[in-house]
Amino acid sequence: MTDSYLTSITPDSISGLLFGFEGIERTVVVLNGPTGCKFYHSSVSDDQGLRQQEFDPLHYPLLWYFGQPRVPCTYLDQRDYIYGSRAKLEELLDFLQKNLEFDLLAVVNSPGAALIGDNLEQIVRRKMGDKPVVIVESPGYSQTIWQGYEQACRALIRNFAEPTERRRTAGKKRVNLLGLSLFHKYYRGDLQELQRLLGLCGIEVNCALCCRCTLEEIRRLPETDLNVVLYPEYGLDAAKLLEEAFGMPYVSPGVPVGFSATESWIKTLCDHLGCDAEPALEVSRRGRADAYIHISRLNSLTGLPKGVEFAVHGTCAQCLAYAQFLIRYFGMSAECISLLDDPEENREDYRELCALLKQYDMASALEKDILHTEASIVLADANILAKLKLRHHRFGGIEISLPSFGYVDVIPKTHMGVAGSLLLCEQILNGLLF
Amino acid sequence: MTDCKGGEGCCRGRKSYAVRWAAVYNEKKGFGGKEGIYLKEIAIYGKGGIGKSTLCANLSAALALRGARVLQIGCDPKHDSTRLLMHGQRINTVLDYIRTTGAADYRLQDVLFTGYRGIGCIEAGGPEPGVGCAGRGIITAFELLERFGVKERYDLVLYDVLGDVVCGGFAVPIRREYADTIFLVTSGEYMSLYAANNILRGIKNYDEDRCRVAGILYNSRNVRNEDNRVAAFAKAVGLPIFAKIPRDDVFAAAERQGCTAMELLEGQGGVADVFNDVAARIEGGLQLYPACPLTDEDLESLVFYGETRSAEPVRQAVKQPAKPVETQDARGGVLSKNVLRDEPLHGCAFNGAMNTGIHLTDAAIIAHGPKSCAYLSYQSISSSGRRRLFERGSLLPVPILPNITATDMDESDMVFGGMEKLMETVQRAQQDGPRAVIVISTCPAGIIGDDIDRVRQLSTPECPVVTVKTDGNLTGDYLQGMLTAYLQLAEQIVDPTVPRQPDTVNVVFEKVVATNTQQNFELMAGLLREMGIRVNCRFLCNTTYDALKNFCSAGLNLLAYKDYTGVILEKFFEEKYGCCFYKEQFPTGFGETCRWLRGVGDFFHRREAAEDIIRRYSAEYQRRIAAVRPALQGKKLMIITYNHQLDWILEVAKAVGLEIVKLGVLDFSQDEGFRSALPWASSLPVEENYDNENRNRDIAAYAPDILLTNYQSAEDGVHCLLDTIPMCPDNGFFSGLLMVERWKRLCMGQERGEWENDRQLFNKYYPR
Repeated sequence: MTDSYLTSITPDSISGLLFGFEGIERTVVVLNGPTGCKFYHSSVSDDQGLRQQEFDPLHYPLLWYFGQPRVPCTYLDQRDYIYGSRAKLEELLDFLQKNLEFDLLAVVNSPGAALIGDNLEQIVRRKMGDKPVVIVESPGYSQTIWQGYEQACRALIRNFAEPTERRRTAGKKRVNLLGLSLFHKYYRGDLQELQRLLGLCGIEVNCALCCRCTLEEIRRLPETDLNVVLYPEYGLDAAKLLEEAFGMPYVSPGVPVGFSATESWIKTLCDHLGCDAEPALEVSRRGRADAYIHISRLNSLTGLPKGVEFAVHGTCAQCLAYAQFLIRYFGMSAECISLLDDPEENREDYRELCALLKQYDMASALEKDILHTEASIVLADANILAKLKLRHHRFGGIEISLPSFGYVDVIPKTHMGVAGSLLLCEQILNGLLF
Repeated sequence: MTDCKGGEGCCRGRKSYAVRWAAVYNEKKGFGGKEGIYLKEIAIYGKGGIGKSTLCANLSAALALRGARVLQIGCDPKHDSTRLLMHGQRINTVLDYIRTTGAADYRLQDVLFTGYRGIGCIEAGGPEPGVGCAGRGIITAFELLERFGVKERYDLVLYDVLGDVVCGGFAVPIRREYADTIFLVTSGEYMSLYAANNILRGIKNYDEDRCRVAGILYNSRNVRNEDNRVAAFAKAVGLPIFAKIPRDDVFAAAERQGCTAMELLEGQGGVADVFNDVAARIEGGLQLYPACPLTDEDLESLVFYGETRSAEPVRQAVKQPAKPVETQDARGGVLSKNVLRDEPLHGCAFNGAMNTGIHLTDAAIIAHGPKSCAYLSYQSISSSGRRRLFERGSLLPVPILPNITATDMDESDMVFGGMEKLMETVQRAQQDGPRAVIVISTCPAGIIGDDIDRVRQLSTPECPVVTVKTDGNLTGDYLQGMLTAYLQLAEQIVDPTVPRQPDTVNVVFEKVVATNTQQNFELMAGLLREMGIRVNCRFLCNTTYDALKNFCSAGLNLLAYKDYTGVILEKFFEEKYGCCFYKEQFPTGFGETCRWLRGVGDFFHRREAAEDIIRRYSAEYQRRIAAVRPALQGKKLMIITYNHQLDWILEVAKAVGLEIVKLGVLDFSQDEGFRSALPWASSLPVEENYDNENRNRDIAAYAPDILLTNYQSAEDGVHCLLDTIPMCPDNGFFSGLLMVERWKRLCMGQERGEWENDRQLFNKYYPR
């Protein structure tokens, strides 16, 4: 009875806020709330960017940290909901001031704590003096994770981005990357690959907002030539805000998944910045050659991957990016496109996705429930892949978002850029060897 | 601008601070570095029914007649603050609007209306009495108004706020980012003065030494001795009576015509002059005072006897002495260790109940709360399923495909209550034909007062509705949620009248999140099968509604874990249903397994079958122990552990000749009191409530050859063999044997590993 619901049990805005702030280096993210809201966020944040060497609870105090390295919390209980959270919060702030060195403090109310209306602004400011702090009293209820992430970005830009006479250096052009977060499965590899390709074209990444950036980089957000939106549901709002506040131009050239999308992404940026795209395009051509020989071998034996049915479960931007690559590059066929976000929220990508599917007579893919897919290749999170395995459906599964099955990525991986196109190629070919 | 620095200048009524309204330019940095116009914002607080809205509307009218662009925001759920400015028209409230409109469609003109003399009129609105959270409603409404930037269009904002400051929500208008000036409206009646004093308390909580109160607007009711009472109160709290608004029939006449007295009088004469005077003084500049509330006793003395007696006492938190260990509260409910000891709560009861409830696999579980609660719980349920599939290829139906759904409570439900949505969700779930529907509640649902037990009325014979009222962590921690779910599900589902079935057992309290639960169950069920015994219900692990209903059909109950929770469940089933329990938990290690098989065999008159099994394993066990002994004999073993029962390791340690130099037992939220059934247990060097400082001291003192912990430390200075103890060990004969065999391998021929030397490199390249 809950098939369709299970596909939409997604994190909400509180997770977007916490992961957004956790993406900033040397930041303490305090959850003003119960431990029940802390454990998951601390665990995912730690898994996604290991910063501590061991998992020994004795190294993290029972109070505040509860044996986990990230996201200390005020462990609110029934009494605090009645009498307010001030005492515990003040005690935690004293502890942090005394024991930790950090550049930024973020304090976020849990959904329950937000109901009681404590004046966090006053409590925190009084304790922290002039230290940089960012406070979110209302994390939202059942809003999407990207709404929370947008809220975090807005707060950071409004509090810290410094108006400046934009520095025009004679050397490298600079961009900010917007819309990548700790919650994106391969964010480390994504960032590394995009920096590599941009570097080949003489473009430097100034700040990847909320994605391993520093407070100093946030302050210097306006000192950049162009803002580049990756996932629009996460990054477009910040791009618009930066345009409105600082007159900064932005582009939203889609998610660079696949060779064509990567080439187009690079060209768009280089055109805007007056840079030479050729070095990156050459790397892409080389990547295409590497992929070709493997696909050709499989094709000569089996006729695959042409015509193989695939399913993808993700946000509109994700689905569009993967579907374009699989349909146009591999000649595969979309059997199920399962959207996590409301098409109304990302009308442009949805329109493009519909046009793509219509062009190849695959529009019915949008109607199919992901848990009833019969596709040979399924791109989704590990929960969906596990459910399909439980139904004894035979397919090759490719993880594109969290949660993961638990594979430990020592080498950062990506589905973006040239390296990402090759990894996807590898995963699809291996998924078809049944 | 209005900050008061305390000290002498802040003493009640002696000195004050002058401000000037009328578009004063403030130098504070606005967003993007722009300078902005500083707006005057006035909150008018007073007891409900005192005539506050009428007064507020007339004041707005007077200010508008002087040329100010005025916005009046009504902050009372009964939403009639602006009615007289709107000529009797009731306007759409912000909260009603949020409730019925999607966020993408929000438009300011749908909630901002223009009344008399261009006055902007907004009503925050709120829920019906007795449902939802009106305070949360105020917070929500203000957030939307901030988003619209509505105040930027006006010179002056008046907040008309409901009587008492009962919670943080109603205090929003007096927060620093809102009102810079506060008026108290009161009559001479006791309850009105009481409310005014409470408002001063609320202001003091926010302001400390700041001056924001302009004075008292005395709305006369013509009761006996009223002038004296109000004057005495004003003097006692150090505030001026800013104006006295006389009782006058013109207010009633104006109300009949749906307008303010100011409008009816065309701004001239009678009470109009009073409001004109107030408006002129606001425009000209105000003296502001700090909030100095009275104690309740002083207020009573003042109102009834005309004098005060004492200063407000300072409230201090009092640490409660530790309570004796009981597992029940005064109402007969069972308590987790965290709750009982008043310790910080580990996890939330909602999640504990969810992780328990999903094991009735043919029931539908409804999480009543926001999406985040359902998601966090779903992740904790599904993580073990994903890992087992990834690591071992095992497909576990319960954690992979839990039958859960949620009400996805949103902002509107927080304000107006979520019961309607819950009823609809239950009915929708029932249509899909589950054997039962189980409803579990989260903190937000509990805080706003949703009573989920009401949905039991939707039960049908085919599909009963069962409720587990955890209210997030309001009732306690994760373990408390498990206990509540166990007991509530049993009480609402178990049928005590079912007949007994021969040679049948129930398995009680398997740890559902442990990765070896299924493997342990299969091992133990296999041993039972060999003795001719079948399992009826696994309470509660991958079982069904009817198996639980028939719980009492089993002749014997077997605890998988006899820790704190196991003991509580044993006691509950014995007392409530007269159930019989075997005295020991599922066995771990050789000694325990032999004892357990013999005991269960005796109960069902199958002793010979038990001895056959033991004989089969015994020879192999002795042979392997002998092979390990030469490598480990005489070595020193130190243990630091959360496990409160470790006989399975201690017995093999002794068997292979290890010397146990220290056994540090860490505090664990799910268990209490170290236990051992070994005959030589009294000689063990046990230290309970162990901590990190002791660890470093003892490692230096004892220099162990093997350090056994639940989590390994990468700390420098530990130069011995390190190994970990599983929190939930495997059951059966060889659990301990496998551990010592591993230590032998590590001692004999294993390198420490070059990687351990790279700690410095990590610190160099990834400084924290």
